[in-house]
Amino acid sequence: MVPGYQPGKKALLVFFETDCPTCQLALPYLNALDAGSVQIIGISQDDEKATHNFVQQMGIRYPVQLDHKLTLSRAWDPQSVPTAYLLDTAGKIERTLIGFDKQALNELASSLGQAPIAPASDGAPAWKPGCGSRHLEPHAESGSDSSGAETQQNAPLLRRIAEPASRITVSDAEDAVEFCFRHFGDGLPVVPPTAERVAAMLKACPLAPENVVGRIPPCYGEATVEKIAANAVMAGCQPEMMRILLPLVRAACDERYNAHGVQATTHFAAPLIMINGPVRQELGFWSKQNVFSNVARANSTLGRALQLLLLNLGGARPDGIDMSALGNSGKFSFCIAENEEESPWEPLHVEHGFRRAQSALTLFSAEPPRGVSEHTAQNAETVLRAICHALATVWSYRMCGRHEAVVVLCPEHVKTIHRDGFSKQQVRQFLFENTGIPVRHYASADNGEGTQLVPTYREITIQGELCYQKFHSPESIQIFVAGGTAGKFSAVLGSWSTGPTGSQMVTYPIPDK
Amino acid sequence: MSVTLIHPGNESNPQAAPSPARLNSLSGKKIGLLDISKPGGNLFLDRMEQILRERYGVAEVVRARKPTFAKVAPPAVIEQLRSMDAVIEALAD
Repeated sequence: MVPGYQPGKKALLVFFETDCPTCQLALPYLNALDAGSVQIIGISQDDEKATHNFVQQMGIRYPVQLDHKLTLSRAWDPQSVPTAYLLDTAGKIERTLIGFDKQALNELASSLGQAPIAPASDGAPAWKPGCGSRHLEPHAESGSDSSGAETQQNAPLLRRIAEPASRITVSDAEDAVEFCFRHFGDGLPVVPPTAERVAAMLKACPLAPENVVGRIPPCYGEATVEKIAANAVMAGCQPEMMRILLPLVRAACDERYNAHGVQATTHFAAPLIMINGPVRQELGFWSKQNVFSNVARANSTLGRALQLLLLNLGGARPDGIDMSALGNSGKFSFCIAENEEESPWEPLHVEHGFRRAQSALTLFSAEPPRGVSEHTAQNAETVLRAICHALATVWSYRMCGRHEAVVVLCPEHVKTIHRDGFSKQQVRQFLFENTGIPVRHYASADNGEGTQLVPTYREITIQGELCYQKFHSPESIQIFVAGGTAGKFSAVLGSWSTGPTGSQMVTYPIPDK
Repeated sequence: MSVTLIHPGNESNPQAAPSPARLNSLSGKKIGLLDISKPGGNLFLDRMEQILRERYGVAEVVRARKPTFAKVAPPAVIEQLRSMDAVIEALAD
């Protein structure tokens, strides 16, 4: 039986893996269950170190046991993780939860006489499938509980271990920089990924080089730890950046983010990385003046590394599968950090359910920034109305209800807005309620973009003018504080197609140092 | 001195499937029409279906629709079109 299990009391056995994104999403929700009514026991399929880190970083408050040699996993035989079994007082399975499923979590809470634990609108999807259980992996047959790097013969369709990357010998006659420039570059010279440089990156990473972290759309090249390291070297990253690159690749491969669509669209969209938490200071991410520019090695090289990974492993090259009509200068590098120190509000990752001290990255498929200059406004409302006018132009002026936006507020605007008593949620609500397109702009029946969808639009009156409401909900607008302390310039970045049929914003935790 | 580099690219080398032979005639054939659900795609495909039936005497037209243009076709949609002699996909916009 499970260590720590007390017979005669209801129990919830939760099988999980530490590197499974769905487990990372699901397990913190169970903290909200009242331990008085059910004993929760997490059962980790990974080793002690990985499990300890997981428990620390995810803030897991219930006991967690290690499944040595996967004995319990074999006995209970979950097909995927996370899987949770609710046992009745006689120890019989009363209910099984598979993957992350908000409705099932709330039904579980209800069956224990508790209030719902998974709110509908907390930024997480309603449902997300998990990963295959470790005991069903081919190399688990040996009974080993390590996630070793042995190469599998007859690899299954979605293997977790791949062959080592090929070694390329560049002869004396050729310059290695020129060689990489021609074969693997982004139109700028890259640092050649020599065996020594890649080895230094790998030393900074807890996973074996042949571990497959993700398959990058649209060509689904396997992003092994080694290949991630090679691209990071090319981008100019320092070894410590591996800490962020692994969750970043997972985020880029998350089906909610939908890189398959973002990478192949004719639209402007490019993945914008937003960094929060202590990792900003630890690795030198810049969040102040010139935040969108070439100001700091960490921002520039992380953004560039993602782009090189998308090109070299994802395969959406700008002269091929990436069909963007005009492109986006963010495709060189597009990485900003939040100026949490100049913000009176909760940072973005805290809004998305993480602790402030937990570093996190957020990925958003973004249009290029459009600037909002507002230097003469005396109050918050005037500043926010200027931003509303920029928000009205997201995607296309007369298109409503289909897109999202990130508003990057500069510290001077934040000061004015905060002084006038606005919370972050009130800012979002104001922008939602005051961004609209006047109905008279649809009067010409010219069949322009956005006019065909008018029957689906919501009417709203803004300052006495009848308008169609631009955004679907306040949550369609995300607020991010960044920029220098001088200059009243904020920015608005529109999205690509959004929601379950487009690209959704995803936030991933970054492991602690 | 030569330099050893770690290959940073996709080495899986996917093989392109060969194109099927062109149909000699559309007469009596089963034609699939795939709407990727961009605005206006149905207008194009309605007209295409009419022309295929009236002018080219196709035996059967099967209409399929992706739930969203932003993602790959789900297996059920591909299954619907598997037995077709040819498929026409409408991009629209």
